Amino acid sequence: MKVAIDGLSVAYRTKDHALLALDQVCLNLVPGRITALVGESGSGKTTLGKSLMGLLPDYAEVKGSVRLDGQEIVGASEKSLNEIRWTRIAMLFQNGAANLNPVHRIIDQVAEPLIQHSGAKKGEAELKARENLERMGIPASQAVRFPHELSGGEIQRVLLAMALIMDPEILILDEPTAGLDAMTKSFVSRIILGARDQGKAVLLITHDLDLARNMADDLAMLYLGQVMETLPARDLLMNPLHPYTLALGRSYPSLESHRDLGGIRGDAFYRVVHRHEEKNGGLRPHSHIVGAGASHTNGHSPPKGCLFQPRCTQAVPECTEKAVALMEAGTHRVRCLRGGIATQLELKRVSKRYGNIAALGPTSLSLRAGEIFCLVGETGSGKTTLAMIAAGVLQPDQGRRMFEGRDMDQWIKEEYRSLARKIGVVYQNPAEAVSHRFSVFDIVVEPLKIQEQLRDKEEIRKRVLRVLSDVHLSTELDFLGRYAHELNMGALQRLCIARALVSQPSLVVADEPTSSLDPSVQAKVLKMMLDLQIEKGLTMLFITHDLGVARKISDRIGVMLAGRLVEVGPTVQIMGRAAHPYTKLLIASAGGEVSADSAGPGGPSTKGCPFAVRCDRVQEECKEVFPEQVRLKEGRHLAWCHFPVT
Amino acid sequence: MKGNLKSMRRGHYTVAYLLAALVMIYVSYSVPRWLPGDFVTAMYSSSHVTLNAEQEAGLRAYYTQRQGFGQYLVDFFTLRWGYSYAFLTPISKLIGEALPWSLLLLGTAHLLSMVFGFLAGVEAAWRRGGVIEKAGVGSMTVIEGIPEIGTAVILLLLFALHLGWLPAAGGETAYVTHSAGQRIMDIGRHLVLPLATLFLAYLPGNFLLTRGSMVMVLKEQFIETARAKGLPPLRIRYAHAARNALLPMVTRFGLRIAFMLTGALVVETIYAYPGLGTLLFNAIAMRDLPLIQGIVLFSSLLVLFVNLALDFLYGWIDPRVKYAS
Amino acid sequence: MHLDLRRELEKDPWFVTSAGLALILAALVLAGPWLATHDPHDMSFRPLTPPSSEHWLGINDGGMDIFSELLYGIRNTVLFGLLTGVTALVIGVAIGLVCAWFSGWIDHSLMRLADILLAIPAVMILILVAAFFRPPPLTLGLILAALSWPTTAKAIRAQALVVKKGLHVQAAQQMGASGAYIIWRHLMPELFPLYLIGFTTKARMAMFMEASLSFLGLFDPTRKSLGMMISYALKYYYLDIWWNWLIPPILCLTLLIMTVTFLAISLEKVFDPRLKEAW
Repeated sequence: MKVAIDGLSVAYRTKDHALLALDQVCLNLVPGRITALVGESGSGKTTLGKSLMGLLPDYAEVKGSVRLDGQEIVGASEKSLNEIRWTRIAMLFQNGAANLNPVHRIIDQVAEPLIQHSGAKKGEAELKARENLERMGIPASQAVRFPHELSGGEIQRVLLAMALIMDPEILILDEPTAGLDAMTKSFVSRIILGARDQGKAVLLITHDLDLARNMADDLAMLYLGQVMETLPARDLLMNPLHPYTLALGRSYPSLESHRDLGGIRGDAFYRVVHRHEEKNGGLRPHSHIVGAGASHTNGHSPPKGCLFQPRCTQAVPECTEKAVALMEAGTHRVRCLRGGIATQLELKRVSKRYGNIAALGPTSLSLRAGEIFCLVGETGSGKTTLAMIAAGVLQPDQGRRMFEGRDMDQWIKEEYRSLARKIGVVYQNPAEAVSHRFSVFDIVVEPLKIQEQLRDKEEIRKRVLRVLSDVHLSTELDFLGRYAHELNMGALQRLCIARALVSQPSLVVADEPTSSLDPSVQAKVLKMMLDLQIEKGLTMLFITHDLGVARKISDRIGVMLAGRLVEVGPTVQIMGRAAHPYTKLLIASAGGEVSADSAGPGGPSTKGCPFAVRCDRVQEECKEVFPEQVRLKEGRHLAWCHFPVT
Repeated sequence: MKGNLKSMRRGHYTVAYLLAALVMIYVSYSVPRWLPGDFVTAMYSSSHVTLNAEQEAGLRAYYTQRQGFGQYLVDFFTLRWGYSYAFLTPISKLIGEALPWSLLLLGTAHLLSMVFGFLAGVEAAWRRGGVIEKAGVGSMTVIEGIPEIGTAVILLLLFALHLGWLPAAGGETAYVTHSAGQRIMDIGRHLVLPLATLFLAYLPGNFLLTRGSMVMVLKEQFIETARAKGLPPLRIRYAHAARNALLPMVTRFGLRIAFMLTGALVVETIYAYPGLGTLLFNAIAMRDLPLIQGIVLFSSLLVLFVNLALDFLYGWIDPRVKYAS
Repeated sequence: MHLDLRRELEKDPWFVTSAGLALILAALVLAGPWLATHDPHDMSFRPLTPPSSEHWLGINDGGMDIFSELLYGIRNTVLFGLLTGVTALVIGVAIGLVCAWFSGWIDHSLMRLADILLAIPAVMILILVAAFFRPPPLTLGLILAALSWPTTAKAIRAQALVVKKGLHVQAAQQMGASGAYIIWRHLMPELFPLYLIGFTTKARMAMFMEASLSFLGLFDPTRKSLGMMISYALKYYYLDIWWNWLIPPILCLTLLIMTVTFLAISLEKVFDPRLKEAW
């Protein structure tokens, strides 16, 4: 049995407001597949579940259509709904024990649907109920008890037994594993998978990303009542297309992800539709997104346009004006004007030589908006060169560069400053990166002065003070007048970061920004950079020799050796299943700097793989030919090796 | 282990009630001893009853005897409750005659008001927001505000005096011989007005309470689950919701007994219905202290017993109570 | 939040009606002695006279002016109710707070005492005491209060326990606040709705008791009371004077009880969040 949800909109009406729970949702449930509906509170996911069974309260206004094999649910009579409820479609609600009548016995409640729907005699029904319960691990002695006598895990099993008693074709589960012990969790998961294998269509409603990723076949990401993306479950961490999906993946403490928790800037709790009186006496409906600190005047969502825009890291002005529909993108469907996460920077086969030395072999790289990319390698690996080319500081000998879709070389020629504004650079040695004749204020204000971004003195001053407080530096007058040598390294580096951020760039390139700092200071600065990245939605290109640092802050890692990229991929993949022998060596050396016994005499001008000299899997081929790019199973993981480790 | 908890809790409450009973009996026992000196004369001098010297001496002896509490208890349980000087009958006999009438009146009134109040409350809550519900709640609240005295007098004036449809007083027509069937009809006719009064007095409370707790129960999660199971509305309403709404009503009944007793007392008196109430009223009018004592003690213990029974009933209805710590 | 509730209260029809009635009754009570046309104890008039311009409600069987009797009767009933209500409330609050605050054996024993008292029907004790000792109304009121505190105490205790666990109380404790401070500044304000509800319910029961007990003849016969008037008037119900002697006290008593009942119901409705219905 197929479930087709088309254009479903649900609003809960209060006196003069309406709470918009769902907005034009389109989704399909297919037999033999588990679809996970992922969303945070206020996303409307429980409302969606309930609307499939026609369980919405009277004050809910429902538009659109929900069809179970052609039978329309929306607006159907209670009588016709009662016929299919539980028999063809059943739901496991949240809140465990609250779903059971405290004064009826367990066995009675499980047997009840059988008696009511199929007219079975009490004896037969109880027998069948007892069987079901036993299958769920509830012995007959427990079955005759009352709900308050059972533990949380047992209750969940009972609810499952009850839901499955009529063998429905469609199963809806609302947070089925929340608050359960590990054993019950795995039991419940097995049952759900079993149900799927029996050919049921399963809708799994949850905010638990791990659960969704592990159990479901498809995911639908719900935000404030709209589906932002639908994708195959395995793509959740590896290849999210929508900024919200990416951000959510980052926010979830999972055993698999390495990067520190992010979060999404801003807040959004739910959507409200008001009716406002206009001057001529008519009523005008308009909607808000209600969040913390949002008042009636500033909490307005754009009248049209993208719902996620206020919190998005890559919003463009268009996003507030044009409405966005869900569009196909390969195996995904995405609701984004920019077609999903946009590419911030793209480098195509850039290379650079210094005289005889090939500092950088032909290398391609693309950075997605809002991600943190770490370039890891030893000294001389070419990472700084690559980063500076990316920043627009160095010109490559060959290759093309695109920044936000525009050719960089063109751009630089025409109006460099407007590009410079969008890129902030933080250097390795803060003490040298600033002039000792400049005061703190001067240092920070310099980019603004150079780029002539702002005219008004007051505006400039405000901007400087704000960015100083962003990096947790004082904004007191006498601090502003201090000189560089009066500050310690940690403060200096923070100052440099402030300088890089003052022009509100979209890309920040940081070259080993914490290497020259003490470990404790390093930690603080890194943490601060991470927070800033989330707050401001920056894309970061981070250079480091320290895999440990890379692991902690990046979404993707690129490993460089002797001027070439040897492996690129999501941090999770690289750290867990590195394919290139060199990467494995780096990881094995556990964070300590790998000795810079060089990559062989002659460096990158040698043909063949630069790691051939040190590799333990080396073959004849490796010394002759530079390896082709190998695309590994999980999509965005690439390695350059003849014999990658699988 | 759980079984022990159950009996422990039972024991707990039963102890409270036994203590209360003992206290009552003791108070009844010792009250006369608190009375000032020659109250007997002072009391009876202003009453309608004239005692001859023998009766007066007997009364005084009764009140000054230094009887032990133990003996008093024994006397109590063997129904030796003393002698009424106003009626010249043993007290136990008087109470024995009046009790069935009171039970008939109160029992029927409570039963009817609970059944109707409950059903009406359940149905009203189910139809929340409709005109019927609002009208029901409104009218019930108004009736709740009218004290039994008021209702009794109004009904008396209207139906007995003005329209003459029903008798104004008594439990049955005196000095007439009836067949069994005729007697029942006669008692019935006399029962109507006091019954109606008490019914109207008890109905609103039951209705409003049931409705209130139904409204709350209907909001519970398990009701939604029941709906999701595709169960017929009638079953959801009664087997699931009303069953849970029953609980507060049982609790409340116990708490309201004091209130209800007073009302019943007054109503019986107004209709001169030959139950314990009228008996008490007459005893007070005639200053028959032993009789007053006897009735008070007896009815208090009866109430205690009812409360105890209610407690057990509640435990039986609500499975959670047994194991609550 | 308090303002919200007050506004809701003002919108509730039951509250508005009862508040209005309460004001009128209060005026009657306060102004009673001055409004009375005659001394209610004055027995010099011709008994069983129908109403006239001098005696608005006529004269009863003892030769007393009914209208004046009525005013004094209302006054006595209301005062009795208020006195008992306040006393029961004070005792109930005090015991409830003590139980919630101290817990342990104090809580335990007081609650057992409450259980015992709840089991004893107060009206019976009152009748016993009134019949045997003929105490003044004040004493009876106090006895009634002493018997009816358990329900209030339990409610106060339950709510106080909840507030006691609240974070703002813990914060104050961390700051070093004394028990008295916390009870005064944190607990008592939170219990405010319960005071109103408790007082109204107790006052209602007390007035009802007063009317019933005086009806049964347990008060001093010279004390004017609505119940007593009804009792006497009832004897003559078949005569034509029922409408000016029997009905007025019934009406007044009904209005009185109704006022307090509506007040109690509307207060419960507004202040008990569980009873509030959505939309």
